[in-house]
Amino acid sequence: MSAIYGLIFLIMLRDLRAGESAYAAFLTLMRTPPLLYVNLVLFALVVWHAVSWFMLIGKAQPIQFTERPLSWKLVFGINVLLWIGVSGAVVYLVFGGI
Amino acid sequence: MRSCISCSEGSETAEEISETRESLAWNPGRETVHADGEAREHEVFLEPLLWGLFSLGGFITAFLFPITLFLLFFAAPFGLWPTDPAAYSVFVLRWQDPLVRVFFFVLIGGSLFHGTHRLKFMLVDAGLRSPGVQAFLDIILNAVAILGSLGALYYAARGWLF
Repeated sequence: MSAIYGLIFLIMLRDLRAGESAYAAFLTLMRTPPLLYVNLVLFALVVWHAVSWFMLIGKAQPIQFTERPLSWKLVFGINVLLWIGVSGAVVYLVFGGI
Repeated sequence: MRSCISCSEGSETAEEISETRESLAWNPGRETVHADGEAREHEVFLEPLLWGLFSLGGFITAFLFPITLFLLFFAAPFGLWPTDPAAYSVFVLRWQDPLVRVFFFVLIGGSLFHGTHRLKFMLVDAGLRSPGVQAFLDIILNAVAILGSLGALYYAARGWLF
């Protein structure tokens, strides 16, 4: 799923380089109803991947700053906060803000 | 008598130290080297590298994908954003920024290495376990990840570095 999106981004960059008409055709195709809804399902899976990844971090490799390793719930919470911060940074630094 | 005891204690202590030194793994400069020593086990290099890229790609996918996908493919069609960040006029300007180019290169490379490695083990779990098939999957899927990353590097560098 992440590899599929990697390839879709690659096609997007190819069409961006090809010019406005090719890029607009790509964007129109991605926004036509059947593909848009398939895309929406894949997006839900991407979000679930992110959540399950953050849930897994504290379990797969317990983080130990104190005598006992931090609980996975705390690690999950910290990662979700980081995720929100990183997403905000992407909005401003990569997409130029709102 | 006193000096003898002291002498014997001293020799015991020296023996203990000597034994300790022999038994400890930390023994700089005293390792025996055999000219006809046994051949070392073949060092594994590629496997940890691929798992490392999988893990790195997992973090990249988890942290960066949701917001990027939302802004490019869903924000404008569903009217959830005041502007259209994916519109040509907007995106082509953002693309001039080297940070944006590096961002998409990292995003594409990370997602490809993560996704293809995961796909390989999904197929192995599904029953494709023979060494020949696994080697075939390794070649095909890693080629997709490597060539895709090189493609992303090309698009990111083109017009900026050359």
